[in-house]
Amino acid sequence: MLDVRRDHRCCDRFAGTSTAMRASRRRLLKAAVFQPHGTPGDSAADPAAAGFPVPGTLPRVLTGIVHDISPHVLVIGNGASQTRITLTAAATAWRGSSLDPAGLRPGDHAVVRLHPSRRRVADRIWANIGRVTGVIIERDADDLLVDEGKTKPRQLVTIPSSARGRIRVRFPSLEPGFLIDVIGLRRAGVLEARIPGTSQPAYPVDRIPAPAMVSGHVPSAISGSATWHEPVEEPGGLLGVSYPAIDPEAGCAEDPVGSRPAPRFARMPYLAIGSLLLIRNDCTGDSCMLPVTGCAAIARLFNDRCVTCGTSPRGRVADLTQAGFIALGGELDKGCFNATITIGH
Amino acid sequence: MLGHVVLEVREAQVPLLSVMILGGCTAKLARVLRVGSLDAGLGPTALFPLRLRRPVAIVTCAVEFGCAIGLIVTAGRLGRGEVANSVRLVTSLLFLVATCALLELRTSRPDAGCGCFGDFSTTPVSRRTLTRSAFFAAAALATIGLPPLQAPHPSLDAARLLGIFAVEFLVIAALSPEVGEALVRLGYTEPCELRRLPAVRTLTALRRSGQWRRRSGLITSELPADMWRELCWRYVVFPARLGDREAEIVFAVYLRPHRPVIHAALVDSETGDVLPWPAAAGHRVPRWLLVSGHALGLRRPFRPRRASRARPARPAAPRPGNRLPAPRRPQVPAGLLAAPTDPGRGIPALRMDSPPHRDPNSAPPPRPPRDDMPFSRDL
Repeated sequence: MLDVRRDHRCCDRFAGTSTAMRASRRRLLKAAVFQPHGTPGDSAADPAAAGFPVPGTLPRVLTGIVHDISPHVLVIGNGASQTRITLTAAATAWRGSSLDPAGLRPGDHAVVRLHPSRRRVADRIWANIGRVTGVIIERDADDLLVDEGKTKPRQLVTIPSSARGRIRVRFPSLEPGFLIDVIGLRRAGVLEARIPGTSQPAYPVDRIPAPAMVSGHVPSAISGSATWHEPVEEPGGLLGVSYPAIDPEAGCAEDPVGSRPAPRFARMPYLAIGSLLLIRNDCTGDSCMLPVTGCAAIARLFNDRCVTCGTSPRGRVADLTQAGFIALGGELDKGCFNATITIGH
Repeated sequence: MLGHVVLEVREAQVPLLSVMILGGCTAKLARVLRVGSLDAGLGPTALFPLRLRRPVAIVTCAVEFGCAIGLIVTAGRLGRGEVANSVRLVTSLLFLVATCALLELRTSRPDAGCGCFGDFSTTPVSRRTLTRSAFFAAAALATIGLPPLQAPHPSLDAARLLGIFAVEFLVIAALSPEVGEALVRLGYTEPCELRRLPAVRTLTALRRSGQWRRRSGLITSELPADMWRELCWRYVVFPARLGDREAEIVFAVYLRPHRPVIHAALVDSETGDVLPWPAAAGHRVPRWLLVSGHALGLRRPFRPRRASRARPARPAAPRPGNRLPAPRRPQVPAGLLAAPTDPGRGIPALRMDSPPHRDPNSAPPPRPPRDDMPFSRDL
């Protein structure tokens, strides 16, 4: 039996209001140093001035538990509040595979993308969707124990026989030490894998190829793959991004289990919680400024490409929150989109 | 004459091959010692299943080492004849097999390097690498049947031999991606955005700077309130007091090991406004700074040069009736020291999300900035 320990250690990441205030305070103080004649208080406190997405420009996301479902109306609840969402004929849903929105069941955890121009109208719904990205620690038949890094608890993944073929095509080595990234259904703390999130890197985690050396200044715009992650200690609906290269001094540097020597990560400029990134979906052209709200240390181990539209350059450059991923035009069941991040704002 | 030159060229291959093979073995050994794992260097071992890669790497290294030693030992009169030819034949086979393995590696794993010289270069296998391996195989074959080597006569023979070595090394260098990699590494300077620089070095550089000497008089705590890094800058924030106003001093330190550029700003804790620096802020030295320099990591208590004759600093335009409070050493709860900025490195830091101990008679706590994180509901 695989033992899922909930002993993930804390480090500098988004864990609530205090961190959010710290992040905005950092922007204010940074502005005070480099723009002493401006009005840093205003720019740091005003989301529009900070460059965050403004209303009406990007799709909105609602998450909650399905309370009631009919062919035309979906009622989801989040705590004590309930929200009624209209279902049109164009709305689609996913729960392990595509299904009619009316096929959702009360009790399902739904992530609803609203129509960008019509409020309270659902455009697409993902039910019970989950994702596990990390290093395989143990394997017991079709059950896997996966380490997602310091900031998250270990995850139990089970691969049902119906999805085994599809998963094994992309992940031929389901052995301890190899990386895995699967999307599936959340069932009582276990992820039932349905589709592969990427193709498995050919190397075990302790044999990552040496990254290329970078000369001169690092370019401010970096292209690669943008993925999403499930919220852990993050408020629902947060528009943020976990960045793969948080300053190691912040205690987020990844130290995957059993790796000796330390993996040689892809080289990206070091940033901190609260730094701003301009993220562009190269497939749709949507872009917005998002704050760094966490570290995506495991993402550094994936030297993979996204092929949603064309083939991205190697490497994961951003690990977005669900709301951020959807707002930028991503489809959760696709796993990634080709993205370009711009640093230095 | 031509036959004599050909013989000299053939004779030169024995020491040359020995040196190259021993160099490869040494580089592999150095890599194993450096990374702590024998199977870290891939190369052609990537063609084998995972469980076989380690033994294959061991066997390959042992055969290489044996060939190199064998070539040296049998170069002279010892083991001349069949023994020497056997060693040279094995060496030829080694390089022929390596050439074939590289051909296969190039087809099946086009992204993998050749694993030569301890994976010094991770450049994928190219025609140059293949040609070099074939060249070594040909060189080893050329040594079969050679009579025992003799020390060259000084003068002309030695010069000719040196010339042969020089030409061959040039050819090998032209066929070796490792040479280009070595030259790049020699002249490589890591961009500051990617450079890892411990926070303690930033703090040390900050405390040695003129900015610190000028501004430290306003600082009320030896512990930074926050510290973070963005690209080439590390920001360090200290709580400060300007008259009766709670303030913060933020230092932006460029990430350079020596004499970094440092900017500083004084910010009102409550409003976030940038405040003008008071005149001669650095002339006032907090008592705690003199007595607790070691707590900051200073080797001796910090004393500005003019501190003994300096008058206490005052704000440029103090409010009537407001006296600058005497600096006091803050009382920091012990539990606050293990901050995110201090992953066991002894860097003092204070968590902002924990309530600091405050004097009940002091000014009210600064109003934090409002939480302006973007949420989907705002769209």
